[in-house]
Amino acid sequence: MARWGMVFDLHRCIGCNACVIGCKQENSLPDGVLFTRTLSEEYGVYPTVNRVYIPTLCNHCEDAPCEKVCPSGATYTRDDGIVMVDSDKCIGCGSCAVACPYDQRNELKADLFKNGLFGEGELTPFEEQGYIRFTPGMVTKCDFCSGRVDEGLDPACVVTCPTDARIFGDLDDPDSKPSKLIREKGGRAPLPEKNTKPKVYYVNWTT
Amino acid sequence: MAANPKAVHNSIKPGKWVRSTCKMCLHSCTNLIHVTDDGVINKVEGDPTNPSNRGKLCPKGNSAIMRHYDPNRFKQPLKRTNPEKGPNVDPMWEPISWDEAFDIVAGKLKEALEDDPRRIVPSIEDFQKMGVWNWPLAFGCGNFFQSGGTMCGGAYHPVNGYVHSAFAGANDAKYCNFWLNDGTGDGFSSHLHAAAQSAWVAEARSERGMKCVTVEPRLSISAAKSEQWIPIKPATDRQFALSLCHVLVNENWCDFKFLRKDTNAPYLVSDDGYFVKNSEGKIYVWDTVANQPKLWDDPTIGKLALEGHYTVEGKACRPAFQRFKDILEDCSPEVMEPLTTIPAKTVRELAKRFYDESGIAQDLKIEIDGRILPLRPAAYNYYRGAQGHKLGFQTNHAFKMVNFLIGSIDTPGGHMGVTLDDQWVDNSHVAMGENGMLHPTPHQLGPLPPFAWPPTTFHLINYFPVGVHPPHLNMVVFEDPEKYGVDFKPDTMVVCHSNPIWAMQGPREKWFEYMRSFKFIVVVDIIPTETTQWADVIMPSNDVFESWNMTMIEPPHTEGMCMRQPVTEPLYDTKSEEDIFNELSERLGILDAYNEVQNMVLGFHHKPELKLQPGTRYTDKEIAERRGKLWNDKDLDWYIEHGHSVTERRLDKWYRPWEGMRLHFYIEDMVTLRDDLKAKMEAHNVPFRHEWAFDDYQPLPTARLDPVHEEPPEYDLYGMFYKDVQLNFGESLSNPWIQDIVYRDPVHIALMLNPATAEKKGLKPMDIVKVESPYGMIYGRIGVSQGWQPDTLGVSNALSRTKGKLGGVKHAGGHFNDLLPYDLENTDGVTGQPETVCKVKITKLNDWPQFLKDGGSVYDMIDELSEPGKGRTHH
Repeated sequence: MARWGMVFDLHRCIGCNACVIGCKQENSLPDGVLFTRTLSEEYGVYPTVNRVYIPTLCNHCEDAPCEKVCPSGATYTRDDGIVMVDSDKCIGCGSCAVACPYDQRNELKADLFKNGLFGEGELTPFEEQGYIRFTPGMVTKCDFCSGRVDEGLDPACVVTCPTDARIFGDLDDPDSKPSKLIREKGGRAPLPEKNTKPKVYYVNWTT
Repeated sequence: MAANPKAVHNSIKPGKWVRSTCKMCLHSCTNLIHVTDDGVINKVEGDPTNPSNRGKLCPKGNSAIMRHYDPNRFKQPLKRTNPEKGPNVDPMWEPISWDEAFDIVAGKLKEALEDDPRRIVPSIEDFQKMGVWNWPLAFGCGNFFQSGGTMCGGAYHPVNGYVHSAFAGANDAKYCNFWLNDGTGDGFSSHLHAAAQSAWVAEARSERGMKCVTVEPRLSISAAKSEQWIPIKPATDRQFALSLCHVLVNENWCDFKFLRKDTNAPYLVSDDGYFVKNSEGKIYVWDTVANQPKLWDDPTIGKLALEGHYTVEGKACRPAFQRFKDILEDCSPEVMEPLTTIPAKTVRELAKRFYDESGIAQDLKIEIDGRILPLRPAAYNYYRGAQGHKLGFQTNHAFKMVNFLIGSIDTPGGHMGVTLDDQWVDNSHVAMGENGMLHPTPHQLGPLPPFAWPPTTFHLINYFPVGVHPPHLNMVVFEDPEKYGVDFKPDTMVVCHSNPIWAMQGPREKWFEYMRSFKFIVVVDIIPTETTQWADVIMPSNDVFESWNMTMIEPPHTEGMCMRQPVTEPLYDTKSEEDIFNELSERLGILDAYNEVQNMVLGFHHKPELKLQPGTRYTDKEIAERRGKLWNDKDLDWYIEHGHSVTERRLDKWYRPWEGMRLHFYIEDMVTLRDDLKAKMEAHNVPFRHEWAFDDYQPLPTARLDPVHEEPPEYDLYGMFYKDVQLNFGESLSNPWIQDIVYRDPVHIALMLNPATAEKKGLKPMDIVKVESPYGMIYGRIGVSQGWQPDTLGVSNALSRTKGKLGGVKHAGGHFNDLLPYDLENTDGVTGQPETVCKVKITKLNDWPQFLKDGGSVYDMIDELSEPGKGRTHH
């Protein structure tokens, strides 16, 4: 059994947000809901100033705080390490959103499904075919495109990334691309002090 | 990919994948479209078999579905019932049949055509369908009113045509080790095939350790990913490039072998600017071994002089290189520093770096495909922002000069000519010209209307012999037609996928007046825009998922043809552009002429069996099939199976295709064409000839200041605008997915200042301001960032839309282009390129003006996305 994880190469990332929209497409996300985001952080003082683009998504933590606090058992971890949300079980209490130190939980308010992406109170055929996967009110997140992964495909954000800044693979396989990068480039997990054991790492902090 | 009936992820739901080509910008990444068994398009991915975009798509390409399902799409032909026209006036559309639409439109066009074809103003801008773009040639119409000329490369393309005989230019990501980007996002965020070029450049950066330096007034994405950002004051890039050239020449850090063998730098130029020629028109050079003049092709030449002063045929003369060296005398980094604000030391270090990285000292070589080629892995790359100035021709030429000096033109690792579309696989874009020099091709989009008095066009293109259409000059003539000898009044407009009322420079109000002066406007488009609001009739076209096409547009490293095919039946009562213009042509009696135009523009004459025949209408599918066959003899079934015929560029055409010819280091045409234009204007007593900008015609770039620097001192900042990949090329701001990323990005949600500049002016972030230039005014809200050159005010293109009934578009406080001049004083006399930087002053306001308080503005949306819990993505 694999243990899926992802590496973000900050040297490669150009902050283009193709991943963000690729994810919106793949997951039929309602307006303003983002399973992955690209942060940009400026540092320094003119003229020695720079900006780093930092992709983020659910870190699929080994000790996922969101799973621990979930009262309904909707949040669970698959054997391959992907942290999932069962839309049938989620009661929309939002505990997970409070518990997640990475701000990666999205509450799907009911009006999102009424107003639609164009805000005109009418859903496009794209939304009609996609929103059935969600229960209004649920608090959801990235699932590493688990359905694609089960078919042997990479997540949608990974395949579209123009610069190959997102590298997906089996962290238990020492020869996988992410394992090698983490080992060779000193991959760092986000907010280690939270002891969540993320399965997402960053390499090339200095761009 | 597998189909899973229980899937929640769109790409694995039951359905099929269809190969096609993106059209979210003018370029042509191929893609795979997933359509469900229920016929819904629910995923678009890049095509992994394409060596250009390699399975990748940019954010725009990822957003195509939202264009297709945009509820604001035009769903059938429409007729205006409200005679009053204005930016906020409801046209009160009435649905009509296609028959009625054709009756009205053909009737109006016929009436104008039979009276005077110059009454018709085309604004047709579909880069993926050049046959449609050139439809006006079928009735001999030279007018032009689309933003391509102004905001694209008015001077860029002609200079590429002179230097490379190609449309565009890009550094060679395969071998380049040191890449300088000046005012462009190539390889990071914009311009040529953004997703593809970003992939190539990321690979070069990460796997080969290619280093980048970015020169720009803002900390762009390119700058943020570079080892060094060199901030520069806007509109001083030419002077910066010349200061680099100064150091390269004076330190002898030049590829003299290249300059002697492969360029006209040794050709002798007399003081009048012309080459010194013998009675047969052959050009002289100076042989330093024999110490005497010889003809350029004399086999006995020992060594060509690049420097020195000579007298030949009784004329004082110098090699072209010496003339450039003389110009550079006054261009030291120390002289330029106060203007560019770039420390002289930085320029000197950069010049050294160029020299060291270029491999000149070691005379690096590489064997590729059995050819031994010079390897020059350092190159200067640039585009829109750096070159869009009054003296655009000289500016583009100055950038090329850096590459000339280090020998990095069209050689591995260097700066390459990029063709628009080779049309057939073995087509060569270069040819031998006069006196051993490359035949220059400044008119990369085909021939333009020649000199005429009185003018045959409304935008004065008759007086720009190497120009790209200057659409902003329509306003100059509109305001004073008599002065420009225009004895006709354009009053009928044909628009197709073009939005000049969004993009044209100069105040919107002026262009509203211009539009009001038209008796009839027909627009072919998909969604409402600033321009469709002025239409009398809307003819809705099929979108990218409903139509056929075959195209390739200026790919940096690849060539071939990319096929578009219908993924679904048209959602609405729409037609292809081909069907629309064929029907109009038939009704106007110009179908045969239109077919001939397409034969010429699309290259069908090369294979006569593909030529469009008189009396026949050809559908989008038939044109697509012919384009594919012209490329590689493959029929449409082959393309449907493969999607494209894209391969890496043929290396004999990519590297030094001009082997054995000399490149135009010195562009003598500037002198020839200037004198020819002068003589013609004189002979015809053209009344404005004495104010024509003949001084702009320079065979070598000079350090002359662009007039923007001489605006009144009260305008104390430089205004510039910018795009990133989400906004690259045409419209995407009506797309909800694009909105969701752009309006969370701090560089796209405010008028940007350096914090020190803001403080000096007593401005704080979120302050509401009025920005005025000598030409126009906009409103906005201040943002600050250390990533701005302190003399600069930056305005994102995301803040450019105007108020109106534009579907999902959020209006801002006016378009940056309102602030730009549209006059001849700020237009390049050579190419028609207008200035795209302006001087501005800022005034703090207590509140928004009323039109921004009504709701629905871009700032309302930004505030909404900034609320806590809205997943704001940047800090």
